[in-house]
Amino acid sequence: MSKITFSYSVVFGCFLALSQCVLADRLVQSAIQQAAPEKSLLLTISRAGKRLVAGGEQGVIIYSGDRALTWKQAEVPTSTLITSLNFFDKQTGWAVGHDGVILGTKDGGLSWQKRLDGAVINQLRVDALETEFNYQNSLGAVDADLLENLGYQLDDAKIAVEEGPSSPLLDIIFLDSLTGYAVGAYGLFLKTNDGGLSWVYEGYKLPNPDSLHLNRVIQTQAGHLLILGEAGLLIESLDNGGSWHKVELPYQGSLFSAVEADSLYLMGLRGTVLKRTRDELGSTVWNKIDIGSTATINDAIVVDDIAYLVGQGGALLQKQGEAFVPFQKRGLRSYSAVESVGQYLIVVGEGGVSRIDLNGGTD
Amino acid sequence: MKRLSSILLWPINTSEKLAERVLFSYRKLLLVGFLIATLFFTWQASQIRPDASFVKMIPAQHPFVENYMRYKDDLAGLGNSIRVVVAAKNGDIFSAEFQSTLKSVTDELFFIPGVDRSALKSIWTPNVRWTEVTEDGFVGGPVIPAKYDGSKESLELVRTNILRSGQVGILVGNDFRSAMVQVPLFDKDPETGEKLDYKEFSALLEKLVRDKYSSENISIHITGFAKIVGDLIDGAVEVALFFAIAFVVTMVLLYLYSGSVMGTIIPLICSLAAVIWQLGVLNLLGYGIDPYSMLVPFLVFAIAVSHGVQIVNTITLESATNGADKLQAAKHAFKTIYIPGLTALISDGIGFITLMVIEIQVIQDLAVAASIGVAVIILTNLMLLPLLMSYFGVGRNAITKAKKGIEKKDSHWHLLSVFATQKGAIVAVVIAICLAVLGIYGSKGLQIGDLDVGAPELREDSRYNLDNSFITANYSTSSDVFVVMVSTPKEHCSRYETLALVDRFQFYLRNVSGVQSSISLVDVSERVTAGLNEGSLKWRSVIRNQYVINASLSYVPAGLMNSSCSLLPVIIFLDDHKAETLKAVTVAVDGFVAQYETDTIKFNMAAGKAGFEAATNEVIEMAQYEMLIWVYSVVSFLCLLTFRSLRTVVCIIAPLILTSILCQALMAKLGIGVKVATLPVIALGVGIGVDYGIYIYSKMQTYLQKGHSLAEAYLETLQSTGKSVAFTGLTLAIGVVLWTFSPIKFQADMGVLLTFMFIWNMLGALILLPAIARLLHPKINE
Repeated sequence: MSKITFSYSVVFGCFLALSQCVLADRLVQSAIQQAAPEKSLLLTISRAGKRLVAGGEQGVIIYSGDRALTWKQAEVPTSTLITSLNFFDKQTGWAVGHDGVILGTKDGGLSWQKRLDGAVINQLRVDALETEFNYQNSLGAVDADLLENLGYQLDDAKIAVEEGPSSPLLDIIFLDSLTGYAVGAYGLFLKTNDGGLSWVYEGYKLPNPDSLHLNRVIQTQAGHLLILGEAGLLIESLDNGGSWHKVELPYQGSLFSAVEADSLYLMGLRGTVLKRTRDELGSTVWNKIDIGSTATINDAIVVDDIAYLVGQGGALLQKQGEAFVPFQKRGLRSYSAVESVGQYLIVVGEGGVSRIDLNGGTD
Repeated sequence: MKRLSSILLWPINTSEKLAERVLFSYRKLLLVGFLIATLFFTWQASQIRPDASFVKMIPAQHPFVENYMRYKDDLAGLGNSIRVVVAAKNGDIFSAEFQSTLKSVTDELFFIPGVDRSALKSIWTPNVRWTEVTEDGFVGGPVIPAKYDGSKESLELVRTNILRSGQVGILVGNDFRSAMVQVPLFDKDPETGEKLDYKEFSALLEKLVRDKYSSENISIHITGFAKIVGDLIDGAVEVALFFAIAFVVTMVLLYLYSGSVMGTIIPLICSLAAVIWQLGVLNLLGYGIDPYSMLVPFLVFAIAVSHGVQIVNTITLESATNGADKLQAAKHAFKTIYIPGLTALISDGIGFITLMVIEIQVIQDLAVAASIGVAVIILTNLMLLPLLMSYFGVGRNAITKAKKGIEKKDSHWHLLSVFATQKGAIVAVVIAICLAVLGIYGSKGLQIGDLDVGAPELREDSRYNLDNSFITANYSTSSDVFVVMVSTPKEHCSRYETLALVDRFQFYLRNVSGVQSSISLVDVSERVTAGLNEGSLKWRSVIRNQYVINASLSYVPAGLMNSSCSLLPVIIFLDDHKAETLKAVTVAVDGFVAQYETDTIKFNMAAGKAGFEAATNEVIEMAQYEMLIWVYSVVSFLCLLTFRSLRTVVCIIAPLILTSILCQALMAKLGIGVKVATLPVIALGVGIGVDYGIYIYSKMQTYLQKGHSLAEAYLETLQSTGKSVAFTGLTLAIGVVLWTFSPIKFQADMGVLLTFMFIWNMLGALILLPAIARLLHPKINE
């Protein structure tokens, strides 16, 4: 595996040495330092202790120690679009992005190092699928469908190696200092057991035979893991990822985000919000909530027991009782993620950072 | 030196005798010849056509323009396009009446010759679409639904579609009270190969769009290069009226000055003939008249009158002092004036020719036109004029008046002759040096390029600039567009490597101050990729998978790539077009090129209005000093040849340099930048300004040679020619001062600066020249 990393960088290194002939790649180009990086397209925001850290286009990762008033740009060795980042503790954080990039920080987001990229992931995937295929094949009592599907996945994985590191990672989570999961497009699913030193591909362990995009992975207050995906895909694990099962939903669109307020809410396309409740018999039912908006909700947060939703077209909604109602002035451009600090919601998206005072007023 | 100058001046000296013999021996024959020539040139001049082209106003040899020319055919609408905005005065665009007007305007523009119909865009054209993601997939359609019927429901649908199309701020005003039609133009009709006729195109726009659709509910706003040129041509025609005014004023002044009917009419006729000849020759050589060369006839007329005045003045004096008859007086005047006149005109002409170092066609055309002008003045005013005077004379009244003047030995000229005394000279020179220092200090703020917003060619409150500020206020795309043309091998423009690099380039540009935003094929690919992934922002990136990229580029708006996919323009919108801003952009692009350009992916500057302005600024910045060096070297050399003394050259040139410095300070004060229009001013000012010095010094020299002291010689000079020199300054200033009222801003700028230069040069020649002569020749005839 490290051999592959080596050969990959050798390829680019060679290109660099011949300099004029072939351009450098965004996997090895550092992010350009911007004068106003907080105005970039930003997709994700998280907190490292008191510090806010956000990431987005062209490898831009920014941090603020003064409640989002001023921002500095971190040192980032790649310039691919950062799709998600979060912190395990005040110092240790992870970011994922396009081209299968996984970045890590040990200084609370000031500087980042590349831990993995799509070229390595492609090979990990082939290795894992090959091993699994051979294992299943050797079992004798073969599930023909399973084997066939593994075969297809293996073929796809081999083609992907040819095509290069093109699959984006979309989210990452660490359950403890060692165990972490990263999810991404086309059913990409990676696990680490050693704090990110090595990763394995475990996409075949998920009930996702169509390799649907996996948009989000979260851990509920009860400690359950949820993976939200395309086409109404919701996968749950009650044992920290030991086993995974699919949850049937009355909804076939993509899910982008989830939040726990009085109950668990799932957010999807065009204003879709599903609320988990129990019927009289005690079994789980999902109710569609009308939020009075057709904006796709990208992220949500609970502040002082009140849930806020943000989404496309600058949608910003507040939960009032059972309903969601527009909160303050609607933004002009799409919001992608939300974090809170003090009395402020810090929202990032197309125009960069917006700071919303929960007591009224935006600046 | 003496030898060299006598060799070089031999043709002038010899031609003087030859010309005199021929001229006064075959007077009738020559008059008939002049008459026939004038009739011929009148016919030619009447054929001359207004002419203005985009390409002529930009520096054709500059690499930016060469790059643009190379890719011109692939850059639909980026070189030359106009924007027509239909605005609702009351209410918004969501009314049946407004939409039907917008549709009619779109249709009307579609059929105007010269329009690139396939790239024409408004919300009514089928190439403008909306797209949206639903659970069922990707849907889209034209903004105006097929079933549109003007009903409330269909207007509501139009509103929804506009929001979904992302055209707010582009084709629809940010306040939904206006909508735009983008009209790309062909410079040359691809079918007929005919050049776009800007005048006619602009007139059609007015007639078929503005006049027809403006009403109490609708206003029409039009911007774009073609409209600027159209307005310039219209404005230039107004300038013709100024010519008439200048003519009448000059006539009155001439009569007051000479006191002679013939001494008024004949110089005027000859000067008019010079203008007619100049225009005729231009037409014969295939030149048209553009808003810049429009001003040359004024200059030619003024220069011609000023030389005519010298001759009439000499004739009058000769008749008055020596009682010479008409023919003798005319012959004498010819002999006296021919050499300084010819020298002056030749230095004018060569001064103008130095403008050729500026590689911008309109300036070169101006140089040619002005040089032809001074060349014909040699014939009309140095030859035809004395010839005519030899028949008509100046008249008894004028001679009597002149006699009285000589007897009075007056008066106010004594005042000026103070400057030929030691004390006066020191005072004058010290003041001049102080002025020069102040001038140099004041010209620190002098800037290159256009400094005003909108179309700097036109006045701030012109309709064009009002239209422009309307559009700037209501739309997100600035009109200051700088285009970098990224070239690749064929079929490579949409390759991942190309798009990723351009993506980085655009991101890099955001750091450049003055850059508002940029757009290219990359933005299309990123947005559509996100769209194909349910609108998720997490997919707004160039995907490293050619199939995904190709799918994202299945529909590309016109002008973002060429048909062979070897070119993708990056369109950069700037805050303004100040030289600083443009410089920052070119420096930044160069920086990126140095670091990232490969053998196959090239970043070529520059097209777009701001791109051409950047090129023009670079050329002007370089040419500015080159031109000054040339014009001063040439004029100094000619003076050296004529007077064979370095000190004399200093006497004549130093006042001109002072004027040039003060002129630059004035430009800085008035906020006039060094640009296509103002760069020629200094060459024109110096070229013409040197005339005064030559006339005064040559006259003074004759008195010095007679043994007068400098002060005496100077007083004599003032009494004989001082008045005519002052008068010359006045006529020249009258010729140009009226331009100040031109609707065209740069003509007004030229008017202010030239008036200033003509008057200061005159004062310099009258005050500073003798003062410097005093200090440089301390022992002369003491």
